[in-house]
This record gives sequence, C-alpha cells and structure tokens, in this order.
Amino acid sequence: MTVKIKRELWVKVTEAAGAGGYSSAEEFIEHVLEREVAKTAAEQPDEEVARRLRGLGYID
Amino acid sequence: MLAAVAITAHYHPHAAQFAYVGPGAGFAFLGSFLTLIAGFFLSVFALLSWPFRMAWRAVRRRKGYRKALARKVIFLGLDGLDPRVTERLMAEGKLPNLARLAAEGSYTRLRTTYPALSPVAWSTFATGVSPAKHNIFDFLDRSLKSYMPRLSSARVGQPGRVLRLGRLRIPLGRTPVELRRKSTPFWKILGRQGIGCTILRVPITFPPEKFDGRLLSAMCTPDLKGTQGSFAQFTTRVERATYENGSRYPLRREGDGFTGEIEGPGDTFVEGTPRLRIPFRIERKNGAFELQVQGRRFPLGPGQYTAWLRLRFRSAIGATASGMARFLATEAGAEFSLYMTPLNIDPEHPAMPISHPPYYAAYLANVLGSYATVGMAEDTWALNEGAIDEDAFLRQAWDIYGEREAMFMNALENTRRGVVACVFDTSDRIQHMFYRRLGTAGPHAGVIEEMYGRMDALAGKAMAFADTGTALFVLSDHGFCAFRRGVNINAWLRDNGYLHLKHDGRESGSFFEGVDWKRTRAYALGLGGFYMNVKGREAEGIVEAREAGELQAEIIRRLGALRDADGSVPIRNVYATASLYRGPYLEAAPDFIVGYNEGYRCSWEGAVGKVSAEVIEDNHKAWSGDHCVDPVLVPGVLFSNRKIAAGDPGIEDLAPTALKLFGVEAPAWMEGKALL
Repeated sequence: MTVKIKRELWVKVTEAAGAGGYSSAEEFIEHVLEREVAKTAAEQPDEEVARRLRGLGYID
Repeated sequence: MLAAVAITAHYHPHAAQFAYVGPGAGFAFLGSFLTLIAGFFLSVFALLSWPFRMAWRAVRRRKGYRKALARKVIFLGLDGLDPRVTERLMAEGKLPNLARLAAEGSYTRLRTTYPALSPVAWSTFATGVSPAKHNIFDFLDRSLKSYMPRLSSARVGQPGRVLRLGRLRIPLGRTPVELRRKSTPFWKILGRQGIGCTILRVPITFPPEKFDGRLLSAMCTPDLKGTQGSFAQFTTRVERATYENGSRYPLRREGDGFTGEIEGPGDTFVEGTPRLRIPFRIERKNGAFELQVQGRRFPLGPGQYTAWLRLRFRSAIGATASGMARFLATEAGAEFSLYMTPLNIDPEHPAMPISHPPYYAAYLANVLGSYATVGMAEDTWALNEGAIDEDAFLRQAWDIYGEREAMFMNALENTRRGVVACVFDTSDRIQHMFYRRLGTAGPHAGVIEEMYGRMDALAGKAMAFADTGTALFVLSDHGFCAFRRGVNINAWLRDNGYLHLKHDGRESGSFFEGVDWKRTRAYALGLGGFYMNVKGREAEGIVEAREAGELQAEIIRRLGALRDADGSVPIRNVYATASLYRGPYLEAAPDFIVGYNEGYRCSWEGAVGKVSAEVIEDNHKAWSGDHCVDPVLVPGVLFSNRKIAAGDPGIEDLAPTALKLFGVEAPAWMEGKALL
C-alpha cells in the first residue's frame, strides 16, 4: 500500500524532519503517526506485559 | 501535484513481521501454496539476475571504498569493562595486549550516556546520536495510559485477523515485531555506500533491521516463551509448579528415575493459548543419570551441562516451534534437581527473526555449532535464585563467551574489507554477579581479575587481524561500581508527599498497584530515572504543564538532600533530562535521571514501580555490582591502534568515526564527532 502526499507538503516534511533531528522524513512521518495512533490503540493486558519482562536481569 | 513519494505500509525500517505462536515467540508458519509458487518464481528470477546483481554490487563496492582511509574497521565491544580496574591491571602488567595497544595507538576513558545503561549507550554507539534522538532511555519505558512498564527496545504486537474454527484460531494476518530504537545505525549508512558490515550481538538490534550487511541480534531478544529469559528447575523438592523469574516444576519419582514436563510457549492456534509441553524422563543407569526426551538420550554428568538440545513444540494444527536448552543436574542424592536454561530461539529454525539476512543465524550455527540467542544469555537469575551455584554460572558464562568468540573470529577471518563489530557481555555479567567477591579471601575472589585477563587475550586475538589498513577499536559502554544499597525513589516520593497510595497505605504491589494517581505528582519506573504525572500526557496526570518546571526544581533540590542512615550520600546528582538532551523523542524520556553514588542503585522493587516500606534497603542478591549510577562515575574505556585526536571522546563519536574512515560524511543529525 502506498500513501501519496502533495509535493509541497513533502518538501515541508523533509525540512521539518531535518530540523527536528530525525534521520529521515520517513522516520518523522512514522513518529507523528505513531503518536496519533497511540491515543486510540488498544493495550496489551497487564499480566502479559509483566510476563514478557520476566528474566530481565536488572529488575525483580 | 503529488510528490513521487510512496510510504509503503510494509516498508518499515524497524519492523519485521512474522506469523507466530505467542504470546512468546512462536512458530515459523509453514507456508501456503501461494507462498511456494511465489518462492519458485522468485528463485528463478534470482538465479537469472545473479550475474547482473554481482556485477552491480562490485561496481558499487569499488566506488564505496574509493575515499576510504581504512580498508577494515574492527569494533570489539567489552560490555562494562571498567577503566579504573583496567588501568590498575595494565599498570600491574596483567593486561599486556591492551597495554601494547595503548602504547602503540591510544587509550582514553570514554564518556557514556545518561543513564549509563547498555541499551542506551550501545544505541548511541550505533547511531551517533543521544537518547533523545534514538528513543532508548532505559531498559523500560511506560504506557502513558496504564503506567505499566514495557520493554523499551522492542514491541511484539497482537496477531491481525483470526479465523475461529471451534477451539482453533487461525491467524490470517501477521504479528508485528517492532524495533523501537530510532534514527539510523552507521552500518546501514555504510551499507548504502556498498561497504559491508558484520554486526554481531551489538545490543538493541532485535528485531534485526534490513541493510546491506549481516547482523545477529542481541540484548532484548526474547526466549521462545517471549520473556527475557526464564530458566526452569525441575525438582523433587516441590509438589506444584511455582513461577518467579524462573519456574520450578515438580519431578515425579517413577521406578528408578523421574519424570517431568518442559513447559514451552503458548499455542496461539488454540483458544486460551494453552502452554505446549514436552514430557521427559530421567533414568538412572549404572549409577549415572540420563535425560530422555523426544526419543533421544543424553548423559547428565555430574557438574556438566549438556550440549544445546533441540526441543520441538508441536501445536494443535501441527506447526512446530523449535527451541534449544542446556540441562544441568544440580543435585542427585536423596533429592534430585535439574536446571534448564531459558528456552532459546533455535538459530537453525528461528521462530522469530534474530538475524539479517534471516539465514545468517543458521549459517553461524551450521558452521560453528549451536549458540545462545536470548538477549541476556548468561542466566543471572538462576544464580540469584540459587538454582545454580557460582561455578555453574561461570561455566555457562564462559561457554557463551566461547560461542561468541568463535563467531567473532569467523567474521574476522572472512572479512577482507568493511566493518566487523562484536559485543561481548561476559565482562558485564561476571562483574554484576561477582563484585561482592572482590577483596575477599573466598574461592571466587579472583574471578573478575581473571575475566579482565581473558578479555585482554581476546583483544590480542583481534589485534592479530589489525594490519596497517585496519582501524581497531576496543571499547566498553560503561564501567562498574558496587551495588550494596538500593534506593526506592517511589518510597521517597511517598514520604515527601509526591506519591500517594489509596486508603493512605504505605506499600504498593508491583507496577503501581494501589497508587492513587489522582493525588500523585511523580512516580519512578525503570533503572535510570523517574517521571512527573503530567496532565494531558499521562492518562491520570495532575501536574499542570505550567507548574512542572517548578515542581521539577523542587524535587531535584530535595532528593539531592537524601541521606542514608549512616550519613552517606546515596545520590550525587539528579538531572533534568531536558537539560541534557535535545531531540524528537525527548517527550518519552524520564523527566529526571538519577545519578546514584557508588554503592547505591535504584532498588529492585522501585525499578518495577513498587512502593516499599523503607526508602533505602540492603541488596542481598548475588547481583552485587552495577553501573546504574551517576554516569560521571562509570565511563567506559576506548583503545585504538590509531591516534585518537579528540580530548573528551564520547560513545556517540564512534559512529561518525566509522563513517569518516570510509570517507563517508557524517549526516547532519548525528551529534558525535569523528575521533581521528
């Protein structure tokens, strides 16, 4: 799947990515979209989150 | 007008997608008919286009090396090698290879990241940027909705659509596995220039990113169950299974032996994801014991680990997940106990991506034999929990070291030009587990010094590959300190009115169980820092953004005045993270980074969001050395066969140095500066 955006916007995106310290325009776009999606995305159950951390040496 | 820009839904530089049986790692899904057809045509195309691709690659490579200052660059990472110990042992003549490297080239202390944690520092090594630009601030980060901790470096999502057939659940989509480390590692930039890199076990490389080179994933690669490494102990001493950091399972006496079951990953093809199990038997034969599992027999010699044994877990629909483990009989008297390492993902049949290209993990196993794949492979929890003793831990750690050294040597022998980077964890794990033996008269008092000697010998082997066209760097990401007392920042926040528990309780469970968020202004999670509960950011935030600066300054001032019972100063500095770093991911960072003094660290309970009764407690675990202190106290080391020009080198400087050595200009976003 591809997403097309206006060339003018792409130029601004590229400039904003550089000014923001991102290593590419794609990384910038992903970050912006991730932040928006995270607001409504479902979270994994607490016990599952805790289970996955088991065995990490630094925490009990 | 539309730009000729396409962001493909599947293009994700940090993501890999695999069908799996979870919630742990799972099954490499046995492909469909369509996949086979597509595979056939792709193979034919690959075969026909091979000469053209090789010719193009040769042209690209020649171009890539045209401006190079070195033909080959070697990075030997010795995690946690401490400069104070290194300098002392060099002065005593006990590290002859490193001393020679320093004399003929350079040696300097290497500034580390804030906080001084391996995932943070090695991510900075890879990308040449600060944490605010690569997004790794700790082992853990938190959900802004639930305040629950999460592994900061990788996310395993939920399968997409699922077809339900009675109790069966057939995933129709793939399960995303995503690397959360952002920015771009130097090996990817070099790959674009046709400069090949072999990257072995550099932390925070799971899942592996696609690039023009080879990579084996490291720290935070899960085990087959999806955890960070859960050992198992099978023993006649328990009646029922118990689950902590490792699990204990009953061994049943049957005839002249014992029987038990190995618990594997959940079967996500079945409603409720029941655990898959493999039965086994231990039989006594002529006074010796033998492990019988899946039709094979393995001797359990006293004090000896078995080799890596492949264990295949079969799901309800017939798909299999392949794991590997090693076994050790830890007692064989009136009671019998058998230790099993975490179920490592099998590199020859990886249930999840652990290398790039995917066959590289299998190549290494075929050429060199099986090897540990889980992120933190040395089983520190088994020693903490007493499932194995110190000698067994050391044998395991050095066996893993041997596997890693074989990989490193294989890469060095097969690399005529390009980059070889390999990180060894042995130095870190042995210092974590044996720091309390330093200066004692016990049998393990010399373990750490011996380890430094072996790391020196390894450096000597790498030096043998460093001719005049090679730049060699031996580095560590941080040093080490004793960890005698743990500070529970959550308890301090409670005592000082910043954190409140429901019903005015004093203690909470893990993960902030019982915390009253409506009255809580700050909370601690993870090893390096803590957060304010900011309105509009955290789900139940109460600190207004306009008040945050004042609150932060107040907490920094008051926490810095904390004193231990004997008057000692547990915390040297509390840093406002925004004053340290600038970058797009700063919003995900802890608001404070705590610079503990030598001898202190955040407490075990505080790291997982627990509010304990006492603010400062003794650390009784075997895990007795640490580096989660003020980064000023624990710089790393940097040796090179080249003259290092920079006066105050930092770990962020290695990536631009690698680029410069191949004539590639460092991109504008990189913060490090070339050292040569």
